[in-house]
Amino acid sequence: MVETIQYTPLNHLPEIHARLHKTFKSGVTRSLVWRKQQLMQLALMFQENQKAIEHALHLDLRKPDLESAMMEVLGIVKSCKAFIENLKDYTAPTRPAVESSKANWNATIHHVPKGVICLISPWNFPWVLTFKPLAGAIAAGCAAVLKPSEVTAHSAALMAELVPKYLDPSAFAIVNGAVPETTALLDLRWDHIFYTGGVVVGRVIAAAAAKFVTPLTLELGGKSPVIVDEGCDTDLVAKRILNGKCVNSGQLCVSPDYVIVLRSVCPAFLEGLQRTYAVLFPEGPFHPNAKYGKIVSERHAKRLLDMLQATKGKIFMGGKHEQLEDGVRIEPTIITDVKLDDALMQEEIFGPFLPILVVDTLDEAISTVNELPKPLVIYPFTNNPETKQRILNETSSGNVSFNDTTSIIGTDDLPFGGAGDSGYGVWHGHYTFKTFSHERVSIDVPASEEHAMAIRYRPYTQEKYDAICRLASQPLMG
Amino acid sequence: MVAYTPLDDIPAIFSDLRTTFKTGKTKPIAYRKQQLSQLAWMLRDHQDRWADGLKADLGRPHLEADFLEINPSIAEAKDAYLNVDQWAKTEKARWTLNWSVMKPEIRKEPKGVVLIITPFNFPVHLTITHVSAAIAAGNCVVIKPSELCPAICELYAELVPRYLDPETCRVVNGDVPVVSKLLEYPWDHIVYVGSGRVAKIVCAAAAKHLTPVTTELGGKSPVFIDPSCDMELAAKRILWGKLANCGQVCVAPDYVLVPRDAQDHFVAEIKKAYDTFFPDGNPAKSDSFSRMVTEAHANRVKKYVDDSKGTIVFGGDANVQEKYIAPTVLKDVTLDDATMQEEIFGPVLPIIPVKDVDEAISIVNEREHALCLYVFTKDPKFKAKVFDNTQSGGAIANEVIIHVGATGLPFGGIGPSGSGYLSGKYGFDVFTHQRCTLDNPRW
Repeated sequence: MVETIQYTPLNHLPEIHARLHKTFKSGVTRSLVWRKQQLMQLALMFQENQKAIEHALHLDLRKPDLESAMMEVLGIVKSCKAFIENLKDYTAPTRPAVESSKANWNATIHHVPKGVICLISPWNFPWVLTFKPLAGAIAAGCAAVLKPSEVTAHSAALMAELVPKYLDPSAFAIVNGAVPETTALLDLRWDHIFYTGGVVVGRVIAAAAAKFVTPLTLELGGKSPVIVDEGCDTDLVAKRILNGKCVNSGQLCVSPDYVIVLRSVCPAFLEGLQRTYAVLFPEGPFHPNAKYGKIVSERHAKRLLDMLQATKGKIFMGGKHEQLEDGVRIEPTIITDVKLDDALMQEEIFGPFLPILVVDTLDEAISTVNELPKPLVIYPFTNNPETKQRILNETSSGNVSFNDTTSIIGTDDLPFGGAGDSGYGVWHGHYTFKTFSHERVSIDVPASEEHAMAIRYRPYTQEKYDAICRLASQPLMG
Repeated sequence: MVAYTPLDDIPAIFSDLRTTFKTGKTKPIAYRKQQLSQLAWMLRDHQDRWADGLKADLGRPHLEADFLEINPSIAEAKDAYLNVDQWAKTEKARWTLNWSVMKPEIRKEPKGVVLIITPFNFPVHLTITHVSAAIAAGNCVVIKPSELCPAICELYAELVPRYLDPETCRVVNGDVPVVSKLLEYPWDHIVYVGSGRVAKIVCAAAAKHLTPVTTELGGKSPVFIDPSCDMELAAKRILWGKLANCGQVCVAPDYVLVPRDAQDHFVAEIKKAYDTFFPDGNPAKSDSFSRMVTEAHANRVKKYVDDSKGTIVFGGDANVQEKYIAPTVLKDVTLDDATMQEEIFGPVLPIIPVKDVDEAISIVNEREHALCLYVFTKDPKFKAKVFDNTQSGGAIANEVIIHVGATGLPFGGIGPSGSGYLSGKYGFDVFTHQRCTLDNPRW
């Protein structure tokens, strides 16, 4: 039985803030044993409540259990285990290479926690995007306040119930609410803010972080383009693109937003899409067997339907929607004859529409991509090494994934993040740990080094000056 | 008198650099190395002029100019020159069974057009370090040095166009209106070194364009004294650090915490050190001592001393017109003293007697995190206790300041002392976008 979401009263926030800071200052999170224990608890929270989490996601998004299990639950357990295994390595101080004149300085870099993190997460993957960063924060030795999205209210309510049961409430708190609660949270000082969401709110968060010069990670989105080149297996290409688009009904930060296809392969590509569509949804997407999710809210559904209404393109497949008692579902929809000034091309779609733009050359494809703000990922489908190089050299984006869509978010060894309007900062695996850590440099210069230091003391004599100049007069290059 | 860049020139400066960046001119490693080499020569060829500029602007003795600023700057450019190939190489992700078939890699790409705003206290080192990192990373750069150092600003204005490529690196001079104008543009990264107050303004402007910002700010860097340390050495090193650049160093030892019954010992040693630094007892006449950057700053620090309720050990005098503040040490200072409210940024050292190291730790923890924290001790347990129970940008034992000059160590703050790092590869990474790539097979 899932509770209803309760917004945290605004006057509770200062106490929460004070409590988390006090706990951090007490030093309890420094212990690696403590961190491992919290990570195990977090893994347990997911293992013991998988069904409840899947149910909440079903109520929130009609997310199919398979997607919930694969993308929201099991990944966290794996992450926690990886952090536990790697904790010793991640936290071990580093002895960096320094110049020979500084060899006796005992130069060491300590990877220490930044402090108390404010983690604001979105509605599309509420569990993984809240708790995967949190796992990294725990591993780094930080305390944290979580502010999940109120749009996925059942998930947020379940989180508020489970988190205090599994994690140490003196170090981890959940704040539920909407704009007023988030604003109040951002009026307090945190040691790092980690925001995943849209670009408009991203600017608001950045402005709030500026008040305290707080370091910030912004994981935003953008229109991640697909480029379909000649010389590919168009059926495979169509399959990988459409599959990617259908994940969470397109409500994914790395969803393939729109396709740029070379004119010569467009007909074969469209046929491939038709064939894939039939395989994915033999009885249509709204049939119960299809296990196809809904749009998260009425507001977003309206946004999408208005966009589709305003398109000057032609609906090739799909286009229908159905009103359910718990929300709206929209068919995966492919639209052809789309131009750059179309309604579908003005902002990140974040829905199940796939506009197709046709170009005649790779030059045109590249310049189309460059017309729009830097996306989180570019998906070129090509087997031509020169085409790959041109795309890499002539475009800019958070990431590039050749010949498949969406899989890039599953990698735990790549620094995943955006560029330009798609955000800044990176995370995943060790990079999450680093995001929440401060590299604290330490040196310990023994008395025996005084002979090397003597020339810096006053009185400054000509002799000392000449010695310094001699030190610097070594050849510049080579 | 340095000419301020006309506000109307700024839009074209930005768009010219953007256009050049798009041509890919700054990307080839050979180009970056050539620019880095030019940067080093710009300093080396005119070393005397740079030192003279520092003398004119800051009263900096030549020895300090070379040791603290010009030589380390050349070293940074050289380090970048020697390592840029390595730093810029595409990295392969760690091998894993699940992912390696998809060739996960990390490309190091320049962010684009970056803005570097630097302060008055180390107008050469703090600028060159960042410029060298930005160029090594393949970016186009706008340099905005502090107008409080007019001689240095003139040198940048004259020499940068001669040594560096004006299509990819420009100097903008001016004060508040010029900075405000610059901040209207969508830079791909901004580095701001200076005060917390202005950092907030920079970050707020950057937020509009989602521009990432690296801030190097300051704070009150405390010094912990373990009574069983080598007091003579500690006093000498601390006083050296306090008086370098007339105390105008972001990691200057700001104040000292010493157990009450060891205060006299420390005071005696610091007096001895003072006597060796200024054998004729007259720092005002010494050519080994810098000046405050402006009369306003001199006044600021003079007021701390005048309003202090501590006991003067030596110093206490000032000549604001000469921008001179005497090297000053105060003992028996309390936490509510005038010298304990803000970062001093001047040659004045308050000594606060405490009960023990626990009290010292709680005093420091009640304050904002500083850029650096110093401990003088021979006892590893004492050191560990202080470091483990506090937070700071850097945690240094038995020395002050010099860690900033070690290339290869990440220098950066935490909390109000800033975020992001500089020096060596860490600086390169600041200006680099790590673009991940996957190349998925057909099966």
